[in-house]
Amino acid sequence: MSEQQIENGQVATATREIVALDRTTVLRAMLRHLITLQWSWNYERMQALGYLYSMLPVINKVYKTREERITAMKRHLVFYNTNPQVGSPPIFGATVALEAQREGDAVDSLKVGLMGPLAGIGDTIQAILFRPIIGVFAASLALGGSIIGPFLMILSGIFWTVLMVPLFFFGYRQGTGIVTEVAESGRVARITDVATIMGMVVIGGFIPSIMSKVQTPLKFVRTVTVQGQVHTQTVAIQSILDQIVPYIIPVAFVFFAYWLLRGLKLSPVWVMIILFVVGFVLAAVGAL
Amino acid sequence: MASLPLGLTNALQFASGYPLYIALILAVWAYVGIVLQLGPGLWWQEALVSGLVTGWIVGNIPLGLTVGATLTLLSLGLWTYGGATIPDFQTGSIVGTAIGALSHGSFAVGLAVAIPTALFMTQMDVIGRAVTTFFIHGADRYAAEGNEHGVAAMHLLGQIPWGLTRAIPVFLAVWLGAGPIQSAIKFLPSWFTNGMTTTGMILPALGFAILLTMLPVRRYWPFLLIGFVLFAYLKVSIIGIAIVAVAIGFLMDMLRTRREVHV
Repeated sequence: MSEQQIENGQVATATREIVALDRTTVLRAMLRHLITLQWSWNYERMQALGYLYSMLPVINKVYKTREERITAMKRHLVFYNTNPQVGSPPIFGATVALEAQREGDAVDSLKVGLMGPLAGIGDTIQAILFRPIIGVFAASLALGGSIIGPFLMILSGIFWTVLMVPLFFFGYRQGTGIVTEVAESGRVARITDVATIMGMVVIGGFIPSIMSKVQTPLKFVRTVTVQGQVHTQTVAIQSILDQIVPYIIPVAFVFFAYWLLRGLKLSPVWVMIILFVVGFVLAAVGAL
Repeated sequence: MASLPLGLTNALQFASGYPLYIALILAVWAYVGIVLQLGPGLWWQEALVSGLVTGWIVGNIPLGLTVGATLTLLSLGLWTYGGATIPDFQTGSIVGTAIGALSHGSFAVGLAVAIPTALFMTQMDVIGRAVTTFFIHGADRYAAEGNEHGVAAMHLLGQIPWGLTRAIPVFLAVWLGAGPIQSAIKFLPSWFTNGMTTTGMILPALGFAILLTMLPVRRYWPFLLIGFVLFAYLKVSIIGIAIVAVAIGFLMDMLRTRREVHV
């Protein structure tokens, strides 16, 4: 009974028949995963059905009897969710390799074990480092009237999509070895740390550059007496502010919004409403 | 902006609202955008891309760019972590650009329409994500019967609730809504236009603030200051700041690993 020999992640030894997958089957599975993974995303089991759909070519090749195929399909219909572009391709690649060795249990534990950590890495890199930086670049180009801005976003999407191919083959070649690669948690923490530091330096520069138009037109008139003669001067408040701390108004708005979110625990929608009120009031009194 | 191509049509020729075919094209674009975001993840749902395409279709690319850019800056830190629902700036950008293009008030109107639309659409997102649950139950049944084609069909059809929850509101808003909304706001008071423009300028503060809540600000705040000083005082360009950022990131890593070796 070969089934009893399976332990999580261990390569079976005795009577297991290993199916050599042909290139077409591997490519079909890879493309199905790449193109459609989340098409049937739902609250109940999220990416599970997309994963099964992508695995179907492999299941059909590896399992000869109908009963085996039903068992394999049911195994993949359990909850699964991770970062689709960075996290899922290596997991899927590894499980394609394991499925060809009929290592069903190893497939399941690998999915469950890696989807959390890889969601964390993928989301950090894409959502905190990559998208904000590209987004600010693209938006500032677009505000200047350039259609290169939107094309930067399109190129970004293509970049992450194309990257799914090597990530898949990385997982496919590693098989269960991918677990040890990812489990070297020190390395993962280092990558996210470096990425976070880079992101923070860039964001520190982005805040004044993107919001540089937020300036006050307010002026005041003062009289000065120079050598007994009385002069009136018009002084722009903005120029005084610039001498103290440049871009103080944009920074103040970011601090204000951050305080509303973090300090007062308001939801982003409420903060947006507050900013609308502030914006309308300041525009009406001519302060901005 | 006169040199830019006007696009497929010119919205200003439609005095009383858009004809059916414009609404259909934009609805199809919304459907394709969201489905291609689910897989392969082409970023066509991004507000900037949607704004550009909508601007091209209705003949006002500059408006599409400014609406899309403002929504992008507003959504800097937003991400569908673990399937969370966030404001739908794709639909907001499409509907806002389309209705703004009808009116000469352009940006103020576009933003005034785009943001409520994006917020309302969170309801549709929840519906789309919930309805798709039926398909996975169908897949359970087919899998138990050993019917692989049934399973495949359930997965591929799963895109329909996702696409339609975007396409239908876009279609209705552009076909039926645009005319009435536009005539209702035909004569915008200047306080409204000024207020929208000013708010558009300060809204990126929210995008940055959301992003900062996801970063370890208390631990790493000096790096924010470095970036700020590079731009505000030293006038370094953003590309220059990015290069310095890479250097600092790896420097910190070197310092840290070195300390670990010596201890």
